[in-house]
Amino acid sequence: MGMARVVGEDKVKLRKSFVKPWMGIKYLFKKPVTIKIPYEKMEPAPKYRGFHTLDWKKCVGCNFCGQICPARAIEMTWIEVDGKLEKRPHPKVDYGRCTFCQFCVDVCPTGALGFSESYILTTGGLDEELELYNWVPINPKKVRELNERFGDYRFPVERIEKKPDGTYIYHLRDGSKVEFKIVGYGLRPPKKPQPKPAAKPAEKKEAKAEKPAEKPAGKKEEPKAEEKKE
Amino acid sequence: MTNPEVPKELREEAKGHDMYLHPIAKDTYELFFGPQHMATENFSIILKMDGNRVEKAIVNPGFLHRGFEKLAEQRPYFTNIALLLRICVPESDVPENIYSMAVDEIVGWEVPERAVWIRTTVLEMARLSAWMFWIMGFGNEIGLYTAGQWAAAYRERFMRLFEELTGGRVYHIYTVPGGVRRDIPGDRWLRQLRDTVEYIKSKMKDFDEILFDNYITFERTEGVGVMDRRFALKHAVTGPNLRATGVPYDVRKDDPYYLYPELDFEVPVLKEGDSLARVLVRRYEMEQDLYILEQLLDMGPPSGPYMVQDARLKALPRFKPPKGDAYAHVESTKGDFGAYVVSNGTHKPYRVHVRGPSQSHGVTVLEELLKGARLADVPVILKTLDNCPPDIDR
Repeated sequence: MGMARVVGEDKVKLRKSFVKPWMGIKYLFKKPVTIKIPYEKMEPAPKYRGFHTLDWKKCVGCNFCGQICPARAIEMTWIEVDGKLEKRPHPKVDYGRCTFCQFCVDVCPTGALGFSESYILTTGGLDEELELYNWVPINPKKVRELNERFGDYRFPVERIEKKPDGTYIYHLRDGSKVEFKIVGYGLRPPKKPQPKPAAKPAEKKEAKAEKPAEKPAGKKEEPKAEEKKE
Repeated sequence: MTNPEVPKELREEAKGHDMYLHPIAKDTYELFFGPQHMATENFSIILKMDGNRVEKAIVNPGFLHRGFEKLAEQRPYFTNIALLLRICVPESDVPENIYSMAVDEIVGWEVPERAVWIRTTVLEMARLSAWMFWIMGFGNEIGLYTAGQWAAAYRERFMRLFEELTGGRVYHIYTVPGGVRRDIPGDRWLRQLRDTVEYIKSKMKDFDEILFDNYITFERTEGVGVMDRRFALKHAVTGPNLRATGVPYDVRKDDPYYLYPELDFEVPVLKEGDSLARVLVRRYEMEQDLYILEQLLDMGPPSGPYMVQDARLKALPRFKPPKGDAYAHVESTKGDFGAYVVSNGTHKPYRVHVRGPSQSHGVTVLEELLKGARLADVPVILKTLDNCPPDIDR
């Protein structure tokens, strides 16, 4: 406490004034700081934490993102594109839970998961629209292209079409489509011939195996998954 | 207040049925103050009124209860940052920093110099933006809405700076154990920060004119909600509220952390302990924070890494610190903010305890100070105590 430079009344106290408050009138002749929202827009900072992007080729399905997620918004999803199962599960992000902390992006060992500056997360309240914000992020190049084209920082997908057999069609804003089928959830690949998925014990085993932590453990498991599939 | 027109029998009958009778018919009545009232933010007070005077005040918090401390036991170490910062919304960097400091101590990490500089700067920026937020609330409570509007506009400048630095506007999720998550975006950002500091400094005069020198401020706050030194120490009051009662306690001076030992600043102290003293202490600290930021900018960020180099960080979800416990605290605009973290060697903390200033300011002290206050003074006392409802509910 001896170090502290303490200042008392003589410096801290002020004198009350009847005249000074009127000086605020000068602000009447200044420009407003507010922006007219529909006509003007606010540009987010270059690395603003917005919606995710995912390079499906780079993703190794290690589930680090799912483990670090504070809100448990990430679910690993097995995807079939054109009848061909992707080698690894990909994260599916639920923006109803996501806190946009982007720890998932930080921990991604291959840099597959990224983020864009798009941040506008609004719906009209229709049921289809509510389903919009639970998606497997798409290629960063495509998202960047859409952002450059529209420049209003909205969600890159306009509508998600869901078919009863598990096929999802993402109708992007520029009219193109991303079509794939979600075959199953979890870390283990879905097996069609054996009807005993037993998802819960499988996950437990996985967790035990991963406890020694670090990459090697994750890598060891992935080849196994491949073998089984083949 | 007794209404002489109401017959005595009716008054006798009304006792015990306060809520359901017309207020004229009884001496005292209950008033629900908040949570929709702007001054209370997110908690409410049940006031037992006698006419215009508060007879008894019962704080009614809990609207924001999320069980932070219990939730923190169920999440990996780094993930907790995204959770704990919600304890104090206007200055979310404070909970980030206390938790990170405690974990740093448990692991034994020497945080790189550059990260320390960034953390100090971020804390001071958070303090300034929290002051602006406070001016907004306080100005509104005493009817000087203009000052509040200005403060909200100036706070936006800090939000933009935070957005560039951290990627978030309100919840920065920036300080993590071992350093910070991103480097400074470049010299341009430092220049912008200096410009902002200069700008706010030039606007301090305007704030003085319209708010702090204003006779309305003096009339509304002088002699309202007085607490003496003994009372403040007994109720564990900290921060500007304690300094307004004559105790020069500032964590940045008395238990220095980060770069504060090297920085030069003054600790304002007043003896009155009333609302006016609290306001003036805050105003002076705002000036000091601007001065501290200037010094930090003159110092410049040291070169080097902004994150500790450690192999364990490669598997972040399974990061395990050694067994141990640590307590760290910083000076926030509300008071002494601290976190106690216990590690049992697993990838989740065994216990995280947060010591927030608002528990005492917003519950025990507030209830005492409101006794005998006029109804119009209730928001003034509330705002000059400057509590943070999510911290009470935790």
